[in-house]
This record gives sequence, C-alpha cells and structure tokens, in this order.
Amino acid sequence: MTALSLKNINKSFGEIQVIRDINLDIKPGEFVVFVGPSGCGKSTLLRMIAGLEEISSGEFWIQDRRADQLPASERDIAMVFQSYALYPHMTLAENIGFPLRLGNQPKEIIEKKVQEIASILRLEKFLDRKPGQISGGQRQRVAIGRALARDPKVILLDEPLSNLDAALRLEMRIELAKLHKQLEATMIYVTHDQVEAMTLADRIVILNNGEIAQVGSPLDLYTKPANTFVAEFIGSPKMNLFPASITEGHPGETKINLIGSSSNLMVNKDIEPNNELHLGIRPEHMTPSDEGAIKGIVTSTEQLGSDTYIYFDSETKEQAVARLNGITAIRTGEKISFDASQEHYHLFSPGGDRIN
Amino acid sequence: MVRFPKATTAWLLLTPMMTIIIGVVGYPLIKTVYYSFTAAHLASPATTDRWVGFKNYLKALGNTKFLDSIENTAYFVSVSVSAEIVIGVLVALLLNQTFKGRTLLRALLILPLALPTVVNAMMWRLIYGPDFGALNALLTQIGLMAEYQSWLGDPDLALWMVAVADIWKNFPLVALITLAALQTISKDLIEAATLDGANAWQRFWTVVFPAIIAPVSVALVLRTIEAFKVFDIIYVMTRGGPANSTKTVSFHVYQEAFAYMRIGSGASYALIVVLISAVLIATYLWLIKKQGNTA
Repeated sequence: MTALSLKNINKSFGEIQVIRDINLDIKPGEFVVFVGPSGCGKSTLLRMIAGLEEISSGEFWIQDRRADQLPASERDIAMVFQSYALYPHMTLAENIGFPLRLGNQPKEIIEKKVQEIASILRLEKFLDRKPGQISGGQRQRVAIGRALARDPKVILLDEPLSNLDAALRLEMRIELAKLHKQLEATMIYVTHDQVEAMTLADRIVILNNGEIAQVGSPLDLYTKPANTFVAEFIGSPKMNLFPASITEGHPGETKINLIGSSSNLMVNKDIEPNNELHLGIRPEHMTPSDEGAIKGIVTSTEQLGSDTYIYFDSETKEQAVARLNGITAIRTGEKISFDASQEHYHLFSPGGDRIN
Repeated sequence: MVRFPKATTAWLLLTPMMTIIIGVVGYPLIKTVYYSFTAAHLASPATTDRWVGFKNYLKALGNTKFLDSIENTAYFVSVSVSAEIVIGVLVALLLNQTFKGRTLLRALLILPLALPTVVNAMMWRLIYGPDFGALNALLTQIGLMAEYQSWLGDPDLALWMVAVADIWKNFPLVALITLAALQTISKDLIEAATLDGANAWQRFWTVVFPAIIAPVSVALVLRTIEAFKVFDIIYVMTRGGPANSTKTVSFHVYQEAFAYMRIGSGASYALIVVLISAVLIATYLWLIKKQGNTA
C-alpha cells in the first residue's frame, strides 16, 4: 500500500520546465525528505502534492484515489509553511482548532483535540495568546499543531526550521523526529540543509534541476551516491573528486591513475579502461600517510576541536580537503600525503554516474 | 554659541507656526463663537455687538429648514459612504487578482480621485442635463426610458443623483486603501486556509476580512467626515434645490451667513455643525488609537 504515488509528474511554468518526469511512491508512516539546492524544484513538487500548484502532466494518487485534479481543500493533506502562516487575529487555540471548526466538528471535540495537541507540543500555557505574543519556536510548534489537528493523511513541511536560530533549529529537529515516531504520520519535508535531511529522513529524495538525482536511505546516499551531484551534495565537507584514468587492468585488479600525479591506486575489481573518470573520496576517509597516493600542499586548516579540516592543493590541480579526528599540528604550506582504503573509493563515469 | 534648554528651543521653533495658526484659525474661531451670541448682520454694522445670548442656538434647533438639512446630510452621508465602501472594497478585491491589464486599471482608478470636486460636479451636471445629457441619451437609446428626465430637477431624485456623482469620485479612495491592505496579506495565509479546508467565502472571513477591517473602518470614518461637510458638489450641481431637497448643513450655513448675511445666526449653525463633526473626528482618532494598540 502507498500513501502517495507520483507517476511521470511534470511541471512547466510557460516555456520553463521545472519538474521533469518524477516517479515516486511514499509509504504510510514514512518520513521522506526532499532535498536539493535552491531552484531544484523541491518546493514546487511539494506544492503540487498539496494542490497549490497544478500538475502539468502525469498522475498523482493519494492511496488509491487519483488526485491530480482534486482541489487542495479536499486532499486531506496538511502543510506547515516556512513563514508558519498562523492567523494573526486568532488565539493559538483557535489557530490549532481552525481546520476542525471548518470541518464543523462539535465544540467539545475541538477543545479536547486542541488540548491533546497542545500537551504533545508543550503549548498548554500559551493557548490564549495570539501568534504575535509568542516566540519563533512556539509559533513553529503551533503551525505543526494546526497541521496535526485534522489527523491528515499526509503532513507537508516546507523548510519549517529555516527561520529559527541554530540552537532552536537543532532542538526542533530532534522534537520533530520524536513527534514523527510518536504519531506515525506520513511526512514530507523540504529542506536545502543536508544535515536535516540526513538526521530526519527514512528516505531522502535528492532533486537537481527538477529531476530526481537519487532516492534512498540517508546512509545509502552517503555510502553509494549514484552520481557526482549526490556525492558532493551529501556529506560535509563535500566529497573530493579527483580526475582519474584507467589504462590497464589485470583480472580481479585495476590500477587507477590520478591525472597529474605519478601515484596509482589499486582496486581489487575489474573496471573498464577509461580516460575521463572521477575518483571520489570523502574527507573523513583520507588518512595521512607518508607514502600516500594523494599528495599536495596545505593551503589552510580549520580547527573545530573535535575535528580538523585540512585544505590542500592536490597534484591533480584540485582543491581537496581531509577531515582528521581531534587536533592536529599540520600547518599551512606543509607538504602532505593521504591514503584511503579502497572500500571508500567512489568512481564516476565522465557523465557523472557511479560505476563501481 | 548660546545653548537654550530643550524646552525653550522647542518653544522658539514653534512660535512662528503658532502665530500663524492663532492668526488664521484661533482668532476667527473665537470671533465665530462670539458672533454666534450676537445678532450680527453683514449689511448693518451696528448689529455686530448686539448681544442676544442663546437665542440664535434656540432658533437654530427649532428651525425646520435646518433640521431638514441635517436629515438631507444624513441621507447623503449614509448613501454615498456605504456605497463607496462596498464598491471600493469589491473593486479592491478584483484589482488584487492577477489578470492582464491590472496595472492599467489600477492607474485608471486614481483618475476620479485626481479630479477637482468642482470639475467632477460640472461633469456630472452635464451628464444629467435634461436636454442634451448623456444619461438621458443612454437610457432612451437602449430603451430603458421612453422620454428625457430632469434628473436634478426632481426633488425625489436630486439628492441620489448628487450622491452618485460623489460615489464615482470617492470610491477609488476606499479601493486604494483596501488594496494596500490586501497587498500586505501573505499568500501563505490564504494557502494555509485553503489547505485547512476553507472555501473562498471562509478564506475571506478568516484571512482577508480581519486584515482589511481596520484600514477600511478608517476610510469609513474619513469619508463620513468629508461627506458630512459636503458643499462644493451641491453648490455646483443644485445650489441646494430643487425645493431644498439637496440642501445640506454646510450649504445651509453658507446661505444663512453669506447669502442672507445673518452672520450671527450663521455662526451658531456653523458651531452646531462643528460639534457634530467633532464627534465624528473623535471616533476617527479613537479608531486610529485602537489600531495602534493592536498592531
């Protein structure tokens, strides 16, 4: 059974196509995160699911009901807006109960439900206040509360944490994850922040230029990025990509040459020869080694206490970065070399697709 | 450099303006109050200081013509202001939609407002003209009416016709104020209400109405104060006629003081009008203050 199903969904604004051929099934109770750089179409896709934007072509199903022509008010989908969109003249209780009042629910049921939601979201003390009289974090919780009120089939969240300061963002992120577990509601969450995506999602949908770049669990995307876009988008600092070539191979063993460098790396696999590959290695998988194949000169370092980021110009002319645990004494201008074990190699074709 | 205490500087800077205001507002006002207790007549200077006490006021309040003019004014105010509000809000809602030519229409909206009242009045007098007027031509040519009407010559119609001219000129003010308020409503709020299950009517009442009620009520009171003082449009279109059917309080004051030259009793009428205006203005200030508190 699926909660939502998107089949060959397209969206154009005039001549400009912003969503291309999206296919996606979302299971009941799943927490799906749409992530991507700004302009990738993630908010548009969310608004199409909500019914706030028309679907140019394709099919949209809510459970087993075709829904692409269904008006937004009849889709039984709730949404939390980035701006919270609380009704300024209503109290918090009225805001939360608003969808129920529109549904002509009896007064006692509305009150009970509002109380219940307020206690989940720790808002009981503020129910008589108006949105203008509470803090940003509280407003955020009211917006979530209003979305929960109707027990909707799906809750959409459009960058809900981006108006909060860093500490509150972290707190609300943890609270959201808890809330999702507690309510087992189907949620679709849009963000440009890959940390939010990694920490909240059951499944991440990475969008790029209106297309799905990859769908998978957070760790799938981290360990097996399908292309260079995903490889660079997930992980911080982003994955190093070195130009590489494969000219020869023995059965069960392939030699990878880093272009511009005399060093080679070996993998115990058969890979077709190719001159324009990219070898990806995550900063955290680079280990300093005197005989390391990846050589360069340190251009700057960032000491975070728990980690040190070492930025260096590699022999391949790429800016690269290594992430080392703890505090290190490496200084700008030093020559440095790194190794990485071969299970952490990511090889990409000239077109950017993963090949190993 | 000499440094005065702040309060002294303030008084020094205010003095020129205060002198002018006292000269052109304060002195005439005091003089008007004084005249209202006298039998002053423009044509006979000897009457200027003849003290009559409250006689002018008592006469004013017993004068059926004056009371009729209050009634006419109330009619005019309620008809024109309510129509201006309704039409203004509806037009603003329309102009807040996205469609081709919206910018042009918004610009056109300013035109009636930019027209001097007297020009507007003359234009409508031409439109209503009993012999060559456009309204007669239109209504007979489309077959709604068999023969030409004297729109401003009919005591039952004249006040309504003047009100129409006033509505045409002034609804754009309400529309502009409302449109400005509508543009402050976040699109998210409308969309949130849609997703909460609100239909168009419920969206209007829960999102749009609360956002425009304050500015619209300010427009309402401002227009009421203006309409209550109506004079120029009446002067140009009907001179208070026919049969006093369009005589408003301001026009009555003008007639008493300047046409009949009875300055003393004219002043008492004027002060009664001022008193009514003061109540309206106090309402306006109260509304503004209330808005300041909730914003």
